[in-house]
Amino acid sequence: MPLADAAPSPVASLPVLEARRLTREYGPVVAVRDVDVSLEGGEFLVIFGPNGAGKSSLLGMLGGAMRPTSGQVLIRGRPISFSDGAWRRRVGILSHQGFLYARLTAEENLRFYGRLFGLDDLDDRIAQRLARVGLTERAGVQTRHLSHGMRQRLSLARALLHDPEVVLLDEPYTGLDPSASGVLREVLAELRDGDRTVVMVTHNLREGLDSATRVAIQVAGRFAWQGSRGDVHDQSFERHYHAVVEGRA
Amino acid sequence: MTTYLGQLRAIVWKDLLVELRSRERLTAMGAFAVLAGVLFAFSIDTTTTRPQDVAAGLIWMTLVFGGLLGVGRTFHLEAQDAAFQGILTSPAPKDVVFLGKTLANFALLYVISLLVLFVFALFFGLELGPNVGWVVFVLGLGSLGFVALGTLFAAVSAGTTMGETLLPILIFPLLVPMVIYGVGATGRLIAGRPFSEIEGNVRMLGAFAVAALAVGAVLFRYVVED
Amino acid sequence: MSTTGLRRGGLTLTLLGLAGLTGLYWMSFFWVSTEINQGVVQRIFYVHVPAAWTSFLAFGIAALLSGVYLWLRDPRLDRAASCAAEGGLVFATIMLTTGPLWGKIAWGTYWTWEPRLTLTLLLWFIFLGYFMVRNSTEDPEKGKRFAAVVAIVGALDIPFIHLSVGWFRSLHPQPVVIKPEGPTLPGDMLATLLTGFAVFTVLFFGLFLFRYALEGLRAEVDVRARRSTA
Repeated sequence: MPLADAAPSPVASLPVLEARRLTREYGPVVAVRDVDVSLEGGEFLVIFGPNGAGKSSLLGMLGGAMRPTSGQVLIRGRPISFSDGAWRRRVGILSHQGFLYARLTAEENLRFYGRLFGLDDLDDRIAQRLARVGLTERAGVQTRHLSHGMRQRLSLARALLHDPEVVLLDEPYTGLDPSASGVLREVLAELRDGDRTVVMVTHNLREGLDSATRVAIQVAGRFAWQGSRGDVHDQSFERHYHAVVEGRA
Repeated sequence: MTTYLGQLRAIVWKDLLVELRSRERLTAMGAFAVLAGVLFAFSIDTTTTRPQDVAAGLIWMTLVFGGLLGVGRTFHLEAQDAAFQGILTSPAPKDVVFLGKTLANFALLYVISLLVLFVFALFFGLELGPNVGWVVFVLGLGSLGFVALGTLFAAVSAGTTMGETLLPILIFPLLVPMVIYGVGATGRLIAGRPFSEIEGNVRMLGAFAVAALAVGAVLFRYVVED
Repeated sequence: MSTTGLRRGGLTLTLLGLAGLTGLYWMSFFWVSTEINQGVVQRIFYVHVPAAWTSFLAFGIAALLSGVYLWLRDPRLDRAASCAAEGGLVFATIMLTTGPLWGKIAWGTYWTWEPRLTLTLLLWFIFLGYFMVRNSTEDPEKGKRFAAVVAIVGALDIPFIHLSVGWFRSLHPQPVVIKPEGPTLPGDMLATLLTGFAVFTVLFFGLFLFRYALEGLRAEVDVRARRSTA
């Protein structure tokens, strides 16, 4: 007799990306303090906050770039491991460091990472990604000859090359000219509509709110305020943000 | 396994390609090799010493100092591009990263070691004859262990405030076996002795290289973790 | 184990060690017979060789603890490793100062590439590297990991160093026949030497426990200071 009301499949109910009491200390400095995150597939969390709030450290821990001092990061219910890197195929990172080699061309940079990620049909993937960020004509140009906006676009292509289900973006809008911002906006819209789970850190309140389904404000290591996009009123958000940062809300 | 090899090849290819385009380390090591040969040649009093008798030791010393120049820069170059974390956050296991960087460094150093051999043969009047193949082999085998230790400790020193200056202090005591066996073998080969006489040395150099590669591959992850 | 317990244990062992050291000195100066070839100066042997042994023991302990530290990440393991390394550095220094002194008087040269002496010299520098690396990182946790790596690689290199130096020496004619204990080791010399081993080992562990307790207190102070500012 089949079980009539068997519990729903466990995998389906697990959040895609989870952080539990995530803390990061650098000696005496506490950069991230007891942060909890829980994101389902398709959610787009945008984290705002002043400099030094610990946003990059938080993102670094979510992406497995650094170990938490305490707490855990889980992907689909499994804690991320620092000895076995297989889960890293599912995460794409856009770091403010860029992760590009100055003397390799755009295409060579993507090919390098493609091989590290063990991807097949690299030629097609690279061509597609370059086209998506509008860099097809620059494929053979060394990245040191590319403008900052182009490098940022290439970094984005690199982050998405392996089709990750979790995407982490650290200040992607910083230093971008309007055309590059436009490309970024489009790609982010695609990510959101494509059921991927995204966490983006940004200073840009307007662009951030455009993409977000969830919003958080990080101050001195903690999430001082969290809510869904629906809780936020566009007109008053800037005031609300400053109030939270200054500790008035 | 195929992914492993693919990742290894990718890292070796990337390092060598970047080096070929900038030629920074090759130039530094190459210039050092030639100039060291010149200085060493002048440092020998030919009235009391036969240059051929001391060549082996000086060849290895030149390799070690010149090698440190190149290998020591490994992670500073990565820091310049600020891309190393891209590798660390990829699925590539840390031991593959270590082996890839070590092999790339080895390729560079091996080319330089041939240059060193050529320069010293020229300046010191060495007649290598039939033993030249064995000399080339011994230099390679010694370099392999050296590069493995050098790459591991280059990562260590890059993470300290002292940087590259720390590298010789950390690595010189560990290199004693390589120098003793390497110079012992090379000296005999230059003097025309048969390979059978140095077989024991070659075995030890081989064991040293294997041990250095294995230890480096295991410990590298603890050095680069954050 | 509580800090008080450690300190008491350390104190007991150290006092025992110091008492034993007095006994050892008495034995070396007054009791044991004089060696035929070298004369009175040979008595330094009973300090020199145990010091070497102790520094090797210390290094082995430091390397072992370092390995376990990388595995388990317990900060106490790193503390213990660095205390052992410190002790090893001290005893290695003793060995390296007594050796050349002895060598100059007994055989006319300050330095020969005697295997034990050479190994201790290299070990001294590996110890030095251990502490330099441990103290020169911005993030102290990194420094501890780096130092552990230095200790482990150093320990694994020891067999290679030993073999290679032994081979090197076998090729080169020595100025004198270096067999410090003479052709055979008579009973009273053996007894004194073994006493030396025991005394130095006890002294080392005594100092080690003291030092470890001190480091534990220091760590506790750090934790409390941080808690009060948090």
